[in-house]
Amino acid sequence: MRAGRFIGIHSIVPPYMLEEIAKRGEPHQQDWALRNLTAAGFIRGQRFALGVIPSAAPVGHKSRTVYDCKHKDGQPPTGTLVRKEGDPAKKDVAVNEAYDGAGATYDLYYDIYQRNSIDDRGMSIVSYVHYDVNYDNAFWDGSEMVYGDGDGEIFARFTKCIDVIGHELTHGVTQYEANLAYANQPGALNESMSDVFGSLVKQRTLKQTAAKADWLIGAGLLMPNIHGKALRSMKAPGTAYDDPTLGKDPQPATMKDYVQTTSDNGGVHINSGIPNHAFYLAAVEIGGNAWTKAGKIWYIALRDRLRSKSNFAGAASATISVAKDLYGNGSKEMKAVQKAWRAVGVI
Amino acid sequence: MRISFERSGGFAGITMKTAIDEKDLAPDEAQKLRQMVEGADFFSLSKRIVPRSPQPDRFQYDLKLEVSGREHTVTVSEEVLPEKLKPLIKWLLEKSRPPKKGK
Repeated sequence: MRAGRFIGIHSIVPPYMLEEIAKRGEPHQQDWALRNLTAAGFIRGQRFALGVIPSAAPVGHKSRTVYDCKHKDGQPPTGTLVRKEGDPAKKDVAVNEAYDGAGATYDLYYDIYQRNSIDDRGMSIVSYVHYDVNYDNAFWDGSEMVYGDGDGEIFARFTKCIDVIGHELTHGVTQYEANLAYANQPGALNESMSDVFGSLVKQRTLKQTAAKADWLIGAGLLMPNIHGKALRSMKAPGTAYDDPTLGKDPQPATMKDYVQTTSDNGGVHINSGIPNHAFYLAAVEIGGNAWTKAGKIWYIALRDRLRSKSNFAGAASATISVAKDLYGNGSKEMKAVQKAWRAVGVI
Repeated sequence: MRISFERSGGFAGITMKTAIDEKDLAPDEAQKLRQMVEGADFFSLSKRIVPRSPQPDRFQYDLKLEVSGREHTVTVSEEVLPEKLKPLIKWLLEKSRPPKKGK
């Protein structure tokens, strides 16, 4: 069923074949394949495509590559291949963190949700480290992950936190599934999904139950002289940092404090606090390891129920309905999800 | 000339802002600013330079320029930042960074 969504009205050729044609076809065939991939939302802009498709080809099993940008910027990012699947650890800690974090993320999706990589077709996971100079960010560019080293004053290197890596890769998963629009409530949901699965990658790596986990996003990313323990808190949104120069964590925990803004694509990194907190509440109420049940409910909602324009209310009804399907009408799990969305004021 | 600048978004979601009045700048810096604004052809830029599908966790820049009664605002996403606007953004980012803390 899911494959049908990608094919859409643009093409009856499945995406993996389009990728093959885009790689190996005659120039006019490549153009046609790229147009179709672009139209289907696989590639955001043809200029990314040529540099990206060869390295992101489907392989059907865990396949990671890490490139060193050597402090150059540019789109798509360029770099030297420094570590590929099966290679031993390198001296460069950022390279190893990107490699290991991508592995832990792949494993969560594969072992727990039976998902084969970002596209569920085993696509290679490509990371670029040392992007630009003093770059205070990490992002998913539609095809690969890109990490800056931070400025060393406010931010440390962005590969340092495994939840950041899980966060970025999950943007890829979201792009291939619900493809939540990156603005306003759908955008905040997109951000929240990345925080949820980023946190689950960390919790599973640390073997922590929902009750034991810190539920922080980016713990250790702020340099020691900054007053803050992390960038976001799913347990207590709005409390992650409070620094004289950076300001205070602006995240709301409930709809009462929803922030209307045109900054940040309509507050996608701000209002994500609301669905983040709903996930936290549901996971703690269900108990045990958060990735087992709460994570599965959210994953299936992302994969099968949410669409690009879904808002918070849509996410509430999708997760409640998945919980009902998986665990039964009136089950403890279903009630926990209902209670969580009610507590944050979405329903 | 007055310019207000905000960087929002990014993975961290931490907003940085600054507002600069040409009058408060040293003469050579004021001249540099005027050159960068001219070089960016600021008043002919679209109000919104944002792709239909923004890349997740990229920065958003909001600029407002006031010069002798004329005013123009531009919202631009990092991944589609026009080349001619880059020097001005880079300069504004330096200006909006929090001052270095002592050890």
